Amino acid sequence: MPAATPHARTPDASLGRWRTFADAVAGALGVNLWVSLVLLPGFVAGSLRTPPAQLAAMLPLGVLGLGVWRRSEVVLLLGYPAALMVPVAFAPEMAQVHVYGPIRFAIVAIGLVGYLFGASVFTSFREPPPPVSRRPLASSARPVPPRWQRRFRVYTALTALSLVFPLVLVYTINFDQTAREFMLRRYPGRVASLTTIMNLGAVSFWILIYFWFFLGVLRAHRTGDRDLLADLEKIRSQGQRARPGPQFYLGVACALILMVALLVLRHG
Amino acid sequence: MRRYFFEILAVLLMGGSLYFFVECIHYLDQRDYISGIILLFIGLAVISVGREMARLALVQKD
Repeated sequence: MPAATPHARTPDASLGRWRTFADAVAGALGVNLWVSLVLLPGFVAGSLRTPPAQLAAMLPLGVLGLGVWRRSEVVLLLGYPAALMVPVAFAPEMAQVHVYGPIRFAIVAIGLVGYLFGASVFTSFREPPPPVSRRPLASSARPVPPRWQRRFRVYTALTALSLVFPLVLVYTINFDQTAREFMLRRYPGRVASLTTIMNLGAVSFWILIYFWFFLGVLRAHRTGDRDLLADLEKIRSQGQRARPGPQFYLGVACALILMVALLVLRHG
Repeated sequence: MRRYFFEILAVLLMGGSLYFFVECIHYLDQRDYISGIILLFIGLAVISVGREMARLALVQKD
């Protein structure tokens, strides 16, 4: 059995430096988002000329500073993104599609996802003080079992797909040439409002899809919350079945029937 | 071998369902609402099958 090893000499100082680094990363990611979402579109659209507009543009930075100072998840993950919408609400031309080409849209989307990931990771430092000594488990020296490697692969694939889904839907609505041409031709003068409604619909649709399908498959693997134990126990038996459930057969049947119906409708 | 099959199938089905959702948007653009709604439900059916495949991939024994 490995002997107990003394921990770092000054754990508090080490943790303090790490937290300062985490604050700096969250602040930098937030400022990057502010520049790409408020400052540059404001300059391009020329909507930062009046003092109220400039004040509204500076508001998100104050909220970001408060969130970093307080290390508050609510402020960083909810308050700051909401505050970013205030200057856009004052000057909607900042968010018009012509300001955001596909490349700038991709940059802003990556910046937003990076900020949300960074803020959620770097604000989760709630560990208790480090122990005086540590004794590594014998199992930690063994290689990761194939079962867990496979789980990590599935987790990674679901994470990647959960990023791809909203991006593709929003891109199709806002930038797909065919969709834009149809909207311009069919809804002249109402393209902006229709685009807004379709964006809201896509976001709502994606939230439902994420809740039902992406979180649904991982429900049996969420073991960190004691309040979920009762539910976990109930669904564990369902999750451990190594055979397809009724939903599989129902899904296959529905897909086939609907595809045939679509073919009949379009070409029948 | 079977577990890789389930993994690949799960990713293909869940990712492939996105095609139906995108096509749904195109059909709604063309005011073909019935076809759009049918495509929406095809996408939901395909992604639910993908979820089942992902569940099977996770519960496979080594």
